[in-house]
Amino acid sequence: MAVEATTGGRLESARSARVKEAFVGYGFVLVPMGVFLVFFIFPILYAVYISFHDWGVLGKVSTVGLDNYSLLLEDDLFWRAIKNTLYYTAGVVPVQVALGLFMAVIVNNAIRFRTFFRAAFYFPSLASSAAITAIAIYILNADGLVNAVTGSNQPWLGDSDTALESIMGLNAWTTSGTIMLFYLAALQAIPTDVYEAAAIDGAGAWRTFWKITFPLLKPGHFFVLVLSIIGSLKVFDQAFIVSGGSGGPNYSTLTAVVYLYQTAIQDVDFGYAAAMGVALFALIFTATLIQRLLFGKAEIS
Amino acid sequence: MKRRMRTVWLVAACALFASVLAGGAQSRSDVAAAPLAPDAVSGNIVLAHWASSPTETALLKQVIQSFERRYPRIQVTRRALDPYPDSMLAQFAARKPPDVFYVDSNVAPDWIKQGVLQPLNSYIARYKFNTKPFYPRLLSAFRDSKGRIYGFPKDWSPLAMQINTSMAARAGIRAPQTWAQLNTVADRLRATNAVPGGRPICLAADWARLLAFVYQNKGSFLNAAKTRATVNTVAVRRATEFYVGLLRRGLAGTPAQLGVGWCGEALGKEKAAIVFEGNWVLPFMAEQFTSVNFSNHPMPMGRQKGNLAFTVSYSMAKDSKNKNAAWVLLTYLTGKQGMRTWTSKGLALPSRSDVKPVAGRGPFLAAAPYARAWQFAPGFNRVMTVAGNELSAVFEEKQTIAGMLTKIQAEATATLRRGGR
Amino acid sequence: MAILEEAAPPVEIPARTPVERLRRILVYLLLFGVAFLFFIPFFWSVSTSLKTLTESVQGFDLLPDNPSLKAYREALTSFNFARYTANSAFLAVTITFANLVLASLGGYAFARLRFPGREALFMLVLATLMIPDQLRLVPVFQMLTNWGLVATYQGYILIKLILAENLFLMRQYFLTIPKDFEEAAKLDGAGYFKTYRKVMLPLAGPALAAVTILTFQGIWNEFFWPLIILQDESKYTLPVGISNFVGIYNTQWPELMAASVIAIVPVALIFLVFQRYFIAGIAAAGVKG
Repeated sequence: MAVEATTGGRLESARSARVKEAFVGYGFVLVPMGVFLVFFIFPILYAVYISFHDWGVLGKVSTVGLDNYSLLLEDDLFWRAIKNTLYYTAGVVPVQVALGLFMAVIVNNAIRFRTFFRAAFYFPSLASSAAITAIAIYILNADGLVNAVTGSNQPWLGDSDTALESIMGLNAWTTSGTIMLFYLAALQAIPTDVYEAAAIDGAGAWRTFWKITFPLLKPGHFFVLVLSIIGSLKVFDQAFIVSGGSGGPNYSTLTAVVYLYQTAIQDVDFGYAAAMGVALFALIFTATLIQRLLFGKAEIS
Repeated sequence: MKRRMRTVWLVAACALFASVLAGGAQSRSDVAAAPLAPDAVSGNIVLAHWASSPTETALLKQVIQSFERRYPRIQVTRRALDPYPDSMLAQFAARKPPDVFYVDSNVAPDWIKQGVLQPLNSYIARYKFNTKPFYPRLLSAFRDSKGRIYGFPKDWSPLAMQINTSMAARAGIRAPQTWAQLNTVADRLRATNAVPGGRPICLAADWARLLAFVYQNKGSFLNAAKTRATVNTVAVRRATEFYVGLLRRGLAGTPAQLGVGWCGEALGKEKAAIVFEGNWVLPFMAEQFTSVNFSNHPMPMGRQKGNLAFTVSYSMAKDSKNKNAAWVLLTYLTGKQGMRTWTSKGLALPSRSDVKPVAGRGPFLAAAPYARAWQFAPGFNRVMTVAGNELSAVFEEKQTIAGMLTKIQAEATATLRRGGR
Repeated sequence: MAILEEAAPPVEIPARTPVERLRRILVYLLLFGVAFLFFIPFFWSVSTSLKTLTESVQGFDLLPDNPSLKAYREALTSFNFARYTANSAFLAVTITFANLVLASLGGYAFARLRFPGREALFMLVLATLMIPDQLRLVPVFQMLTNWGLVATYQGYILIKLILAENLFLMRQYFLTIPKDFEEAAKLDGAGYFKTYRKVMLPLAGPALAAVTILTFQGIWNEFFWPLIILQDESKYTLPVGISNFVGIYNTQWPELMAASVIAIVPVALIFLVFQRYFIAGIAAAGVKG
């Protein structure tokens, strides 16, 4: 009887401990989830709702069911925009992440002028997007700095073969600093004993990095990849400014969000834009879910 | 005696009936029950605008100050919005818009259709506002298909031809007046190498320039009633061939090819001798490229004279809470005095014939009788996106002119059929 | 116990042989070259801010002919610079602080606490990152208008109270901290909040530093939402003021660059101060014991 009482007591206290843990967990995430639900989730649900209507700026005009979605499927411009966006993402993400990681590893080590280099590498991310874009337009001119150095006379941003690629290069460069910051933070969590052990084993810098540092950065990789991919799929500012809002020349800078903007703000077709937004969201969500599943095993700890 | 009594009763009844009708009609109108004299109107209103340049903003502040001196009972809060359409649409949707604001002629058909602009006809009648001085084509840009007015043009500018005087002298040419002469002049500029490191003409891959040439060739995007698309026609094709032809033969270059952001900059950096820009290029040159001398001329003629009118209106919000005050501001800004102050620096041309522009604007004003407003039908923004992209593809030789026109025609027809959706 | 402890900075291993020394010099030269390239936009901005308008629109020239501070005077007086800067500072500091608290609490919960639906809720957090601002604009603005939060600081602060990136970052960082620390605290009888405050937070220095830098900078440079929500000229932030110099054709380049240069100083300072905490070994410092 005494045994039963003890087991019963321990089970109960275990259960109540779990309940307490759950309560604390919910409590800690309450405010963030509140903000996200109100200002993010509600708007996307609202978008789903209005995507089934012809919706003007003052509200519902008529109900159209799935018409917006069937229109979307047949919309050349939409598929063009998706293609551009996927191409952009595939190009920018690897460069951005590799560059950021590389810089982080360099400025994490004991080199002289470390702070100076950190500041230098981070600087393009520090400046405001507007200033950077203005400067980029200036130096990518047909007779701007880049052409002065490379000796060509290509109008980088004015030619449909190079416009998007130029923006890709620009963004990869400016956001690599932020990626560097993320990896720098992640690198701090790796205890120095690990490096010492590797040094004792006689591992060189490269091997240490690949076999030890890189795998230990897994949560960092997940974070960086998710943010990088999502950010790239949402690219808007530079593509819009450079093309004057048209997505040109020759549709080359027409990204998904640029087209969404045109539909919502210039066409004032909120219903169709909502359908587009929902489709885009579904695309990004699927991409992230896949990443989550790929990295998931490393995280269940 | 009885008959006279009956007549009196009849007249009284009629009078009573009439006054009831009138009273009912008054309460049904959007205007306040009694037409207030402008001086008696009071309130706080918001004026929203976009800031084209710091000089312009300063000028607007000045105009508002003189308005507040004239009508001390009305307080105006000025708000510069950027990005403008995003901010305006969000405020429209939240039913708390600014009272008076800019409306570009290009978006006017859409905003009118969305029902966010206040029709002004009843106010015009009530306050006996004279709209005759406005150039008719500019005022029509802000009418709907039934002729109701939704805004008054605050200024405008057509395109004109700017020619670099020293380059012209070097090549010994005079301002061309026809397409044929434009060709000859450009040939001559090239032959004499009058534009070292550039091209004789700067032409943008932009329908906001090409369309002027289309009009000069008796073509257009839409028919007069805006019910049919007329893009894929011989007239439009010939005009485009002329325009693109100048480029192909090396007589013209795009801004990107010339290493500039727009043709005005090409004029300033002397990368082109001839450009086609509006009044806005004058303050630009005066501020940034003071050493370059150039002259203004009317655009050359094709089969007829043709030009585009870029205009912006002051309009009132349908959801405005103080429409009388908004009306007083509206009519001051677009009235004789307000417009005179606004156009006194030459940043834009007056849209009223009773306000004279600053000196040297003759070539621009000459286009007033025939310039057509830069606008289409509701929902056409999408068509113009396609049109612009196709044109840039043609410029890059990735698309034929015929192919482009077919595509634009299809898009335009589909948009008209959808009723602007 | 200080929240952020700095370990002794690792010492650079000296180069022994001449070959090693040469290689090292070459590497440093390369790094300096790259650093110079990265700094060029800033040099160009400063250079433009010292030129006149006509000079600044000419070719690419890093050295101004007659450097003058006129553009700086212009920039500081043409709009209420002090007021806008104060607004920017207030908003940036408040929002950064709110984010530090909420992101670290929430990150800890998502990383270490078990509650039903945790993974689904986390996907929801990630989902918020996937919604473009342009799509959210109208509903968010309508809500704020209905609640009377337009033209108020609170409205803007509310929508930026917690950013998903920060929550995500803290979670990832907490995942890498060995469980031994919490277990030790549990044995000492610490509750969840105490564990958070006394164990997790001190170990989270680098992540907190990253959140501080990124949030402060993001809010300081943000243009879109402040302009749409704040509406009242007395509440405008620095980027809004700076945009006064941008015209459709006539951008006032010297003044624009002067204002941008001044605006970058606080953000650069925050970076320099907080990047000190990116020093390897903090985690190691706690293991022993």
